[in-house]
Amino acid sequence: MLFRILKNSFLKRPKAVVLVFISIAMGAAVATAFLGIAGEVSHKMALELRSYGANILLEPAAVEGGGYLRETDLPKIKTVFWKYNITGFAPYLFGVADLSANGKKERAVVSGTWFAKQLEVPGEEASVQGIRGIAPWWEVNGRWPEGPDEAVVGASLAKRLNVGLGSEVGATVRGRAARFRVAGVVTTGGFEEEQLFAPLVTVQDFLGKPGQVSRVLVSALTVPMDDFGRKDPNSMSKDEYEKWYCTAYVTSVAKNVEEVMAGSRAKPIWQIASAEGALLKKLNAVMLLLTVLALGASASAVSTSLMASMAERSSEIALMKAMGADRFQVAAIFLGEVLIVSTAGGFFGYLAGNQLAALISHSVFNSAIASPLWLFPTAIVSAFLVALAGSVAPLRRALNIEAVRVLKG
Amino acid sequence: MNRRRWLIKLLLAALAHRTGRTLLLLSVLAMASSLATALGVVSLSMGKRVSEEVRKYGANLVVVPAAARLEVGSGGLNFGAISDPAYLDQGRVEKALASGGLKAERSFHLRGALRMKDADVLVEGVNFADVRRLFPWWQLRGGWPGPGETVVGSDLAQRLKLKAGDTVELTGTAQTLKLKVSGVVVTGGEEDDLFFLALPELQGALGLPGQLTEVRLLVSAEGDTLKDKAAALQPLLPDAKVREVRQIARTSEGLLAKVKLLMTLVTAVVLISAGSSVTGTMSTTVLERSREIGLMKAIGGTRWEVLLIFCGEALLLGVVGGVVGYLLGSGIAVFITRTVFSAAPEFIPWLSAVSLAVSLFLALLGSVGPMISVFKLDPVRSLRGE
Repeated sequence: MLFRILKNSFLKRPKAVVLVFISIAMGAAVATAFLGIAGEVSHKMALELRSYGANILLEPAAVEGGGYLRETDLPKIKTVFWKYNITGFAPYLFGVADLSANGKKERAVVSGTWFAKQLEVPGEEASVQGIRGIAPWWEVNGRWPEGPDEAVVGASLAKRLNVGLGSEVGATVRGRAARFRVAGVVTTGGFEEEQLFAPLVTVQDFLGKPGQVSRVLVSALTVPMDDFGRKDPNSMSKDEYEKWYCTAYVTSVAKNVEEVMAGSRAKPIWQIASAEGALLKKLNAVMLLLTVLALGASASAVSTSLMASMAERSSEIALMKAMGADRFQVAAIFLGEVLIVSTAGGFFGYLAGNQLAALISHSVFNSAIASPLWLFPTAIVSAFLVALAGSVAPLRRALNIEAVRVLKG
Repeated sequence: MNRRRWLIKLLLAALAHRTGRTLLLLSVLAMASSLATALGVVSLSMGKRVSEEVRKYGANLVVVPAAARLEVGSGGLNFGAISDPAYLDQGRVEKALASGGLKAERSFHLRGALRMKDADVLVEGVNFADVRRLFPWWQLRGGWPGPGETVVGSDLAQRLKLKAGDTVELTGTAQTLKLKVSGVVVTGGEEDDLFFLALPELQGALGLPGQLTEVRLLVSAEGDTLKDKAAALQPLLPDAKVREVRQIARTSEGLLAKVKLLMTLVTAVVLISAGSSVTGTMSTTVLERSREIGLMKAIGGTRWEVLLIFCGEALLLGVVGGVVGYLLGSGIAVFITRTVFSAAPEFIPWLSAVSLAVSLFLALLGSVGPMISVFKLDPVRSLRGE
């Protein structure tokens, strides 16, 4: 009997059911889309901000010239406690050399570095490290060097040497000589424009400093500094130090990296780190508020549409009562309807919301999104609860009506 | 006339008689249009707010002498100069910036070597007021310097065993300066290895009045791209080179575009879904009134008049909902800008029109849409309750 009533109530007034269904599905879609991206957005934004460049500088602890870091220590950076927060790093070895090309001579800096080096660390996933990862703003005219004797030349230096793509540049330093072929010309607006960049190994040979590195730039995902993060770690108690070490402040990640690179000291680059922290904090706050707003709005939209559809059915309820239905049976019929519509609405809303989240993530961040599994039951249960909340008030009023009065009109 | 008055009376009576339904519809319409207002204000001002935040990354254009010095470094880190310096004339740069009509914050820098005891140290002359404003990442232990005082980079301070309160003697080609160290600065960049003192003092000590080695510009990211702005400034400064700091400039442009796109999409999703929910609610209430429509038709109302009554109701609800929604939405927007950006909220007057339009559109769509099916009703059947 109950099922027949339910079946007919859906089949006989399809329009009203479809309207409620649409409203529930839309509400669930917005909720799913927002919950799906809200968590991801802060992560994606943090990754996005990493394209401002490295935020940690590793240099030899002995400040007064002369000191070098060991290249063999570099893979250890991928094994530290915060290894998953480190999005990339690039070593540099600097030396001043006399460059000559087309009969022109210039003194300039030769930098050895990794452009995009395949790094295999035992027990860790293989990764690609180097300038291409940590400095996406480099505009290379031509291509990145591939062979050991290929180089990219800074735009100003290229102009002064009068070299273009494919030219040969000779370099000499303290009697040693090397030749580089220009694979690309780089524009950055910074100091890089005055330098020649070649593969690290080549420059180590050329400068006679095998296995040595003068600086390492590390790009790490960090959390914004707060009052606790700004405390001096040396004055912390043991518990505080542990808490500090296990929070991804830029200072604690720097400390972490410093520990694996022998003879190094790590400095946060505050220009990047502090601006990034402030920006992330605000973007996250906006996203949170918008999520709350959207969830609130979709919940109230669903509730009101249920209210509207229940409110006008008093004569139906009166008829049921007149035929001898008790309150429990009437409530069961209506709640059954709500359950069915909201489960279906929640299900379709979840599917649509997932697509929306994927669409947003794809068009804004150009990446796929993995929506968490718990979202599926949450979407359906919350659709039901919200729909229930919307039907409680009209249902209670309907249950209290006097059948005779309503049926008389 | 009589008939029109009758219509209006009917309309008002219909609204007043069912207070519950009227309030429900008003509240959903107000909710939809307040969402439109709040999201509109937030996403429109988001670009501005984020570009203000992005300023904390520092200068995005630099002006250097055409015969630039050679410097060692990478990733915005400078490790020293290795060739003869060239200079810019401060007066000419200021004139060029003024005539270029570029809206930019500027900071002037002169870098040179001074002798301290028996070693050369790198010294930068700056205007400390500009530094405080444009380089918010400076972490200063001690105080900002007054006249006759200097700030020393943390690495240099460690090497020279200097601390706030010490006195240093720096000798230039023109004169010797006796300076008190007022503070130690940490930035993690090249600044850690430099002395900083007031620009005129360094110009005096080096005998280079009115000369600069670098001008850093912070150009607001609105309008043209920075590349175009740099290109427009270049002809005004023939003996200098205007460079776009791609690390800051390009990344900021990319970030701004992403934030704007995200906000637009989010706004669209919320508005469309809330809109369809509201339309659905509206439609439900109209669908349930077939008996009323049947009665109207039975007592001689034409289709047009029935439509007029329902549209009138929708209009009334839409206008009230739109006004309430605009006020509510502005409140939400104020709350968001206050709490997140601690900035004064922005009032965008034309959004009130948008808010009104959203509310009206949803109300009309929700009530006129189902009317089409209601028109087909046979009054006799609907009155019988079939």
